[in-house]
Amino acid sequence: MRLYIAGSAPNSIQAIANLEAICREHLKGIHKLEIVDILEQPQRAMADGVLVTPSLTKVSPLPAANVVGNLNDKNKVLLALGIKGKVA
Amino acid sequence: MNPKLNAPQQNPARSGARPGFENVMLRLVKGGPERLAIEAGQIDAIIDTASGSAILLPEAQRALIERKTRFRSLVALCSDWHWEQDEHYRFAARAGAGVGSSGFDDAHIIGKALWELPFDNMSEADWQTHRNQLEWRATFHDLELRRVDRAGEVRYISVDGEPVFDQQDEFKGYRGTTRDITGRKQAAALVQGSDRHARAALDALAAQVCVLDPAGTVIMANQAWRACTAVNGSVAAGVREGANYLAVCDNAVGNERAEGGAIAAGIRQVIAGESRSFSHEHASDSPAGQRWFVLTVTGYRGDGAMRAVVSRENITERKRAEQLLGLDYTVANQVPAVNREPANRVSVANSLLAALPHAEYQRLQTGLEPVTLTFGEVLYAPGAPIRHVYFPIDCLVSLLTAVDGHRALEVGLVGHEGMVGIPLALGSNVSPVRALVQGTGTAMRMEAAPFRKELLQSMPLQRVLYHYTHALMAQFAQTAACNNFHAVKARLARWLLMTRDRVRSNEFRLTHELLAQMLGIRRAGVTAAAGALQKQKLIRYRRGNIRILDRKGLEAAACKCYRVIKNVSGRP
Repeated sequence: MRLYIAGSAPNSIQAIANLEAICREHLKGIHKLEIVDILEQPQRAMADGVLVTPSLTKVSPLPAANVVGNLNDKNKVLLALGIKGKVA
Repeated sequence: MNPKLNAPQQNPARSGARPGFENVMLRLVKGGPERLAIEAGQIDAIIDTASGSAILLPEAQRALIERKTRFRSLVALCSDWHWEQDEHYRFAARAGAGVGSSGFDDAHIIGKALWELPFDNMSEADWQTHRNQLEWRATFHDLELRRVDRAGEVRYISVDGEPVFDQQDEFKGYRGTTRDITGRKQAAALVQGSDRHARAALDALAAQVCVLDPAGTVIMANQAWRACTAVNGSVAAGVREGANYLAVCDNAVGNERAEGGAIAAGIRQVIAGESRSFSHEHASDSPAGQRWFVLTVTGYRGDGAMRAVVSRENITERKRAEQLLGLDYTVANQVPAVNREPANRVSVANSLLAALPHAEYQRLQTGLEPVTLTFGEVLYAPGAPIRHVYFPIDCLVSLLTAVDGHRALEVGLVGHEGMVGIPLALGSNVSPVRALVQGTGTAMRMEAAPFRKELLQSMPLQRVLYHYTHALMAQFAQTAACNNFHAVKARLARWLLMTRDRVRSNEFRLTHELLAQMLGIRRAGVTAAAGALQKQKLIRYRRGNIRILDRKGLEAAACKCYRVIKNVSGRP
């Protein structure tokens, strides 16, 4: 999965912290996370059709999914990543 | 990271210019998770697909700037030990590894302001200035304080501080850092002590002098050296202290490359001890004309290491005198052989002097002295007394009149065919115009009093000067009419031809600014006119250098005024 952020802006930092907590708790190292700073690489966001940051994209396994915002809503993130379904 | 901080686009009037961004906004406004996240305040940035950059939302932008500023101030304040003061500037806390070594180790500073401590280098006024800074809540840097510690040793500290505010923006005091700079101060004083005399002696010299270390770094330069800038156009002129002189010579490009290489090789020989000294004469083209310099390098052993003293002297005057002597010599040699001149006349480079019978010239010569007139030199100011007359040889002098107090317009041009100082010949010792040197070169100069005496005695001199005065008056009159009636291109062509006749060369240096001033027009007008002449292949203009390619063609492009002035001047 890929997380798009804007430097160390508040929501971006929050999103990183939230995602890391989720990964620690639910994925335990079986995931691959790439963080893309759009202040440095705006073209990557454009190529992936990302309009706002922070924004999390699940690249694989399919189906692709997308969550925007600071990822405070843990359930929404788990749902998008397809984890909640498995756990439940 | 080098974030590209773009302000969010707030001006709707401008959005039309960025359709990509507008599309993005439309999609966001239409709904979807992005819109919800924006409304929840969870978004930092929006991608502008048109410009390919990220646009930070105001909140995120503020946070980033704040974080950056805080970090910068932390770095700037980084040092020995840390302190905090309350709102009355009294020390409230201090901490840090350097507290003990700074000589500032007594606990008595807590509860005291800086000015209540026994520093001995601050006057009442100094403290007042500092307190004013604090009242203004300003950040201060490098406040240097001196005290004698309990062991009787002088200690120096340097204090930095910044104001602290709470969340309600209420002033809470100052915090900052203090460094012990005693070591640095002592070293500086030691260097200054030994250096001071050397520096004072060097500064008193008119020549440009600098000292190089074995690597070629300039470790000391005198005032004349520092005042000289690269404007002189000479190889490695005015290299600053701390810069590497050899590197500058090695990296010289274009015409200066060979010079630079020769100078660097000579200096290296001196530094290596292979030769005791090295000397190199070189000419350089400056905006003020050609100049000559001699560079002398001598080596000496200081503190064990080899040093090279580079001295650069302007020898333009001497060179000009040499040239003049050479000229006289050539003339003397040629006169018997060619003998085109009547036997009783002498050939000199100024036409008026050349027109005098030999005996008259010999008598006049005792009062004449060769001088170098440099570009920009003002020979006479309007209304000021005339102290000398000048017979130009290869220099060019403009006669200018002020139009409305600040703008000047050229009314006459004097070169080898004439004399500057005609009012004196007509009985007035005040110049109505400003005489400005346009082209650097040599002239023969004579003081006003002997000149008048000679004029009274010498009929031939009177005749020559009255004829020239007539020609000059015709030039004034024609120029005045020309400036009023003729097109810029024609006037420019006339001016270039007149200059050519006076400097006796098809090539000379001129800037657009100067031409604009001479012709009394704007710079843009000169650019257009010069461009047109260049297009017709009559002249070539490159970086202030003008070359006349087709004199006849240029004459055809010039107004009739050129011929009128030339004919009057040429008529005996």
